[in-house]
Amino acid sequence: MTAFIGSLAILVAVGSSIALIAQGFRGMQQASRSTARHLKGPVVGIVGGSVVAMAALEFAILRDDFSIEYVANHSASSTPFIFKVASAWAALEGSILLWGLVLAVFIYTVYRGMRRTQGQDRLGSGALLVLGIVSLFFFGMMLTVSDPFRVCIDPGSVGCFGASNLPWAGSLAALEGRGPNPLLQNHILMAIHPPMLYIGYVGMVVPFSFAMSALMLGAKGTEWLKRTRTWTLIAWGFLTVGIVLGGLWSYEVLGWGGYWAWDPVENASFLPWLTATAFLHSSVVQDRRGMLQAWNFVLVIATFALTILGTFLTRSGVIASVHSFSQSAVGPVLLWFLMVVLVASFGLFAIRVNVVASSPRLDSLASREGAFLLNNLLLTVFAFVVLVGTLYPMFVEAFSDQQVGVGPPFFNRMAVPLAFGLLMAMGVGPVTPYRAARGSVVWERIRTPLRLALGAAALAVVLRYRSPLLLLGILTATFVGFVILRNLYHSARTVAQARKIALPAAALRTMRNDPGYWGGQISHFGVAVLALGITLSANLTVAAEVVLSPGESASVAGYDITYLNQFTREESNRSVIGAALEISRNGNVISQQEPRLNQYGVSGMTVPTPAVDEYLTGDLYLSLRTIDPESVTLEVWWFPFIWMVWVGGFLAGFAMLWSRLVHKPKRESKPAERVTTQ
Amino acid sequence: MKTDLRALAGWVVTAVLVGIVAVGLFMGDTRPQDRAASLGSAIKCPVCQGEAIIDSPSPTAQAMMDIVREKVAAGETDQQIYSYFQARFGEGILLDPPLAGKTLLVWILPLLVAAGGVRLILSRRRPSESAHGETS
Repeated sequence: MTAFIGSLAILVAVGSSIALIAQGFRGMQQASRSTARHLKGPVVGIVGGSVVAMAALEFAILRDDFSIEYVANHSASSTPFIFKVASAWAALEGSILLWGLVLAVFIYTVYRGMRRTQGQDRLGSGALLVLGIVSLFFFGMMLTVSDPFRVCIDPGSVGCFGASNLPWAGSLAALEGRGPNPLLQNHILMAIHPPMLYIGYVGMVVPFSFAMSALMLGAKGTEWLKRTRTWTLIAWGFLTVGIVLGGLWSYEVLGWGGYWAWDPVENASFLPWLTATAFLHSSVVQDRRGMLQAWNFVLVIATFALTILGTFLTRSGVIASVHSFSQSAVGPVLLWFLMVVLVASFGLFAIRVNVVASSPRLDSLASREGAFLLNNLLLTVFAFVVLVGTLYPMFVEAFSDQQVGVGPPFFNRMAVPLAFGLLMAMGVGPVTPYRAARGSVVWERIRTPLRLALGAAALAVVLRYRSPLLLLGILTATFVGFVILRNLYHSARTVAQARKIALPAAALRTMRNDPGYWGGQISHFGVAVLALGITLSANLTVAAEVVLSPGESASVAGYDITYLNQFTREESNRSVIGAALEISRNGNVISQQEPRLNQYGVSGMTVPTPAVDEYLTGDLYLSLRTIDPESVTLEVWWFPFIWMVWVGGFLAGFAMLWSRLVHKPKRESKPAERVTTQ
Repeated sequence: MKTDLRALAGWVVTAVLVGIVAVGLFMGDTRPQDRAASLGSAIKCPVCQGEAIIDSPSPTAQAMMDIVREKVAAGETDQQIYSYFQARFGEGILLDPPLAGKTLLVWILPLLVAAGGVRLILSRRRPSESAHGETS
């Protein structure tokens, strides 16, 4: 019954998508007051269908309804509640359903935005037409190759071996489910990270749909940019937070002592982030100076295409082996869709490029525009490096049956210089005037920050840290941070003198006066903190492997680790074996830690859970390798200031809230307050 | 006069700081490099999914890591150690693609795109003669 309701809901969403395409097309051709009314039905249908489908899947999982293949193979009766909820999007079919649900919510918000214009909105109608096509594709997939409501017709004692797409095929329940992948039920972050990432991923479809609509209508100008700015920022912010959460999950769960390994799944989320970040910056240039109009279309199309590529990479099995992806129909279908998206959107762009392109308007490279162009160049090259590095081994394997390795050493070597270039542009760009900047003006604004950054790097040298990457990292990251602080201090001082208010109040007022600019600066500050965190934790890591008998101690980075005893524990879904450790410093016991090995019942898979002892100066990271009552083998790392990576990353992502939620103070601001933000 | 002195002091401080950082950069890292670790992060674990042997807890990776340590202790060069694993597991065992052969393109393509981008930006500059006349 649940399967039937779920399938029906998806069918409704498919039908509504077709209706949305038709009504969107009509509204784009000839907008009238009744357009909004005509669009309402299809939009409600898509939202209703996807909500009911997701609710049905959750209902089935929570009730342990193993007559549905997805539930039987990806959940178990012993799975804890929170991981049951999360398993609705932990596997392929459910994750596509989540894609559809998030898409439906975005379609609704676009429709809401349109109602204000009384429906006489050809651009918005065209955007809904494009959204309808994307929605038809994804809900169509859920009806065919990626059906979350397939009913089980060949149940095993554990899990389901055969299933049918037809909800009325006599369903037989498996006795017990297989449970989620152990790696995915080992940490609470797995419940939060995918939805965050999906909001970011799917949100990119909104600027894409408006861009396509503008191209179809041959609409010049910035209307599509202005109208989608909020969505772009929200999507970008969630994507940023989602990526950082992914890194945090990898760090807290996988136990290899890192947060980023340049593996294809991580790259898949990073690629659209790079082009979306480039787009956020280049759209400012178009808004302010009318430049880069054609380029912005390219970036938006690329970003959307990369989200589809990312879905393909993570969901088709192509990463495990290029030859395995054709085992499920999802891979080829997504690949075809990607081709259609690329051909159709770049084809449309090629036809219209003469209409929408702007004439060359760059007066001087030494200007804010110049810095934006440098930023775009570096981000685009960065994206290209990641794209080539990720896809190249797959291409070689697919066409020559030989394997080549492209891994972290390659990405790091390419990414480090690009990152330094981006940080320098980020430091100097925001305080460089538009059009043509005089060197003396810029120098005045960066002089003190540069000296402070040099001071920080010199301090590191004096403390005997001399690795070149460490020094350059400290120099550039602190430079960016100090430029922003100096800029804020300078503007705030002017405001404080003019209005006779205290400096902190003046600083707040400055930031509220230009939320767009200062939202960006908060984000930049977050990136600077992140960069400093990466620099410090990557260059000053202490690693050791220690073997301890009960009662024995070892010292790593000034912390004494004592092995007390082995313990075991039975939990509903797993058995846990771990080492009780006592951490002390200078003879004082400061914490108890329990790195563990979790063995998951149904799959029999063992997953280590590291213990992370967090301090302001860094993390003591303990990962269990082997354990028996006589001895324990531990990998121990000391990661200094690694919290900066998470804090900086979250700050960078959430900063978009400032630019969207903060409004200018009511009273008119004096021109002097905007001096440095021009 | 007072501001002159302050500016001069600023420059002196800057020069001293630049000097210290430059000396630090010039002297480089004085701590001993863990060659085995850096080699281990450039060799792929053949039984894992895209993990380096230094990061993987699997017995295969650990055994390979032991071989790397032995060879480093025996004084073999990086290239000798890489060749040893390449001969046994094929070219794909290296995570660091060589600047030659099948992986040459991985290095060259991004450089081509970067060069193309620079050219594109330079070509989009407003012709300098019109830059003076226009005010828009």
